[in-house]
Amino acid sequence: MISYEALPRTIRAVRGPPFPLLNFMMKKSIAITGLGIFCAAGKSVAGFTGSLLGGRSAIGPVDLFDVAPFPGKIGAQVRNYDPTSYFDRRTAAKLSRADQFGVIAAGEALADSGVRDSYSPYDIGVCMGAGAAGMLQGEHWLRETISNGKGHPSLLRGILPDRTTTAISEMYRLGGYQGSITTACSSSATAIGWGADLIATGRLKAVLCGGSDALSILTFAGFNSLRVVDWEPCSPFSLGRRGISLGEGAACLVLEEETAALERGAVIYGRVLGYAVAGEAHHMTAPEPTGTEASRAMADAIRNAGITPEEIGWVNAHGTGTPLNDVVETMAMKMVFGNRVSDVPLVSTKGLTGHCLGAAGAIEALATVIALKAGLIPQTLNYRGADPECDIEYCHGGGRRSTMGVALSNSFAFGGNTTSLVLGK
Amino acid sequence: MNGKEMSIAVTGLAAISPAGLGTGPLREALADGKSRLEPIPEDFGVGSGYLWGKIGNFKVSDFIPPLKARKFDRCSLFAVIAAGMALRDAGMDTGSTDPTRIGIVLGCGFGGIANSEEFLRSYFTRGAEGLAPMLFPNTVPNAPASNASIEHGLKGPNVTFVERFCSAESALMMACRFIREDRADIMLTGGVDELNPLMIKAFGALGQLRGHARNFSEGAGILVLEKTGHARERNADILAEIEDVRTVGSLVKGLEAEGMSRLLGAGGACPLVSLSGVAEEMKPFPETLASARFVRTGVILGRSLAMGGLSMISLILSMSPGQNAMHFAASPEGPYYAIDFRGGASVRQ
Repeated sequence: MISYEALPRTIRAVRGPPFPLLNFMMKKSIAITGLGIFCAAGKSVAGFTGSLLGGRSAIGPVDLFDVAPFPGKIGAQVRNYDPTSYFDRRTAAKLSRADQFGVIAAGEALADSGVRDSYSPYDIGVCMGAGAAGMLQGEHWLRETISNGKGHPSLLRGILPDRTTTAISEMYRLGGYQGSITTACSSSATAIGWGADLIATGRLKAVLCGGSDALSILTFAGFNSLRVVDWEPCSPFSLGRRGISLGEGAACLVLEEETAALERGAVIYGRVLGYAVAGEAHHMTAPEPTGTEASRAMADAIRNAGITPEEIGWVNAHGTGTPLNDVVETMAMKMVFGNRVSDVPLVSTKGLTGHCLGAAGAIEALATVIALKAGLIPQTLNYRGADPECDIEYCHGGGRRSTMGVALSNSFAFGGNTTSLVLGK
Repeated sequence: MNGKEMSIAVTGLAAISPAGLGTGPLREALADGKSRLEPIPEDFGVGSGYLWGKIGNFKVSDFIPPLKARKFDRCSLFAVIAAGMALRDAGMDTGSTDPTRIGIVLGCGFGGIANSEEFLRSYFTRGAEGLAPMLFPNTVPNAPASNASIEHGLKGPNVTFVERFCSAESALMMACRFIREDRADIMLTGGVDELNPLMIKAFGALGQLRGHARNFSEGAGILVLEKTGHARERNADILAEIEDVRTVGSLVKGLEAEGMSRLLGAGGACPLVSLSGVAEEMKPFPETLASARFVRTGVILGRSLAMGGLSMISLILSMSPGQNAMHFAASPEGPYYAIDFRGGASVRQ
């Protein structure tokens, strides 16, 4: 092994000491060959693309449960959803709302990629990020149990967050791998990074990865109790922002090694170039306030991708719209991009989709892939005015054209779990 | 899916189990083979004759100041304490090590469920005035690993898996990859789970107390992993080495034999095998494992979704230096794991 000190300075600058040269030279290119999404901003990739590029927010009234007791009563709920349009009654009854969303998005991504026709079921794995999962049904069980001592047990079927992964594996006969990552709001971004890793190691030929989550009383009441829910549609990086708007949905990507994908004639939507996961080791709910820890995940992801910060065109922010998160993420941007920060817009798509928690990272990764392919940096919606502490470019005025081919997508979670994905077109 | 690509050492172990705190009581339990399970109290209303592996006599103040302990859920308490025990066992001084090079990947079972229930019960009975914001942060399954990272200052990769009865094995596979890829020098991995009355009621309602939730238990089993070379450089005791991690997500109908072949690899019969999750109930049980001596942690300690941590520790405690052994784990609808270990020179008999 060549020592770090013996490397040419340019490579040292890119890689940093922790990553051996061998990994850098042998890094496989991981292609994205299938996309699927089901959320309030679109029940298919085509529908979502229209909302994303057109800047149409999906945040509105929530009627999935009683929201009257809470200060923040709105969210990005999947409206006009009838499970029997997608499943027979028996299957629908076995799946929680989150499981159903995941299975639908996975179906679109798999059909789009055609990957099941090319590989053995044991060469294709499933790795999903999860959040509240089937909590909505679990809440019905608990309420029934409290009121009359006996809830209907079928309501508990989806209570564990791994159920979506298993449902997808069963439904589409994918036997290579099952993994469910549960790091709250960074779950599905990590699932995508790990999915790319599983292919990079040669363990699998394809991975269906992403995330799914559904609105629940637990998360709606929980975030309201922490006073971080805005009673207007969330307005990331704006003056007077008060917090998040919750959302729900699912997004899936099919990943393959690029050479194999090209050999079978697959359409390549983009690439997962690298990722990093880290722990802030600071606080369960508050971000480390200087942005140092957030910037570390971003910089590590860039190094892991084998590129320089100069190659990043824009960043899809975690961008929740909470007063503290947005300032910290802005500070992290300055640390990573230095003098170039004004040329690297930090945009949040949560004004469009709401904060979809366990599915947020995947939905935002998919939005990033679509935007990179379209050559457009999306708009950060719901602008209310300039915040002096958020003083870089956020594309509040509208989306903008970009020829840059690489973007970063950030996901920061409860527990200080940070994930950054580097995505290329 | 085969991962024969590594030389990773296990240099520290920590166990919190129905046998007691530490690997000592676990070793005693493995030696005498007597079950540490106890009857589920009859006032739970699920009927009689059921057992559980509840950890009693767990004096938190021996490890964490009571005021601080109040902010943790039970699962996080297990993880925080076990992580500290594992780091000490590995001879790690986190104060003198770059914190960004130490990570944690844990499998979790029902972590967060107790806080979720308490939070929601209060809301359903008292309305919005009953909401207790302090409970909400620890409703997430990553609370145990994240609280452990906060308490011990671990800033490396931090991930949590919930993957049925293979949660800990899923975590171990990722931890191995992170070490091999140089994302971290030291990874804490394994599993943590808790048990509470609501879970027992729910298992009862689902008819699972005689099924997969039979003899459910709680606890934590954490292993410290690092590259073998790294362990040697710092003169750490090498308790075992991980030679291979294989997994399949499920046994696809009509293709079960191919799945088992990929899972068990081409190697011959293994003399020592730990069984985890529902592995023992697999039908048909893999022929190549049938002649092995089994380490049946579940019989002694009960089982949980993240029991793989304790089960792998039990295996390591049962190995002799240089001995080959396999950890075999199964979930009802997948995944399945086969992890090859070799006894280290410092294996503790």
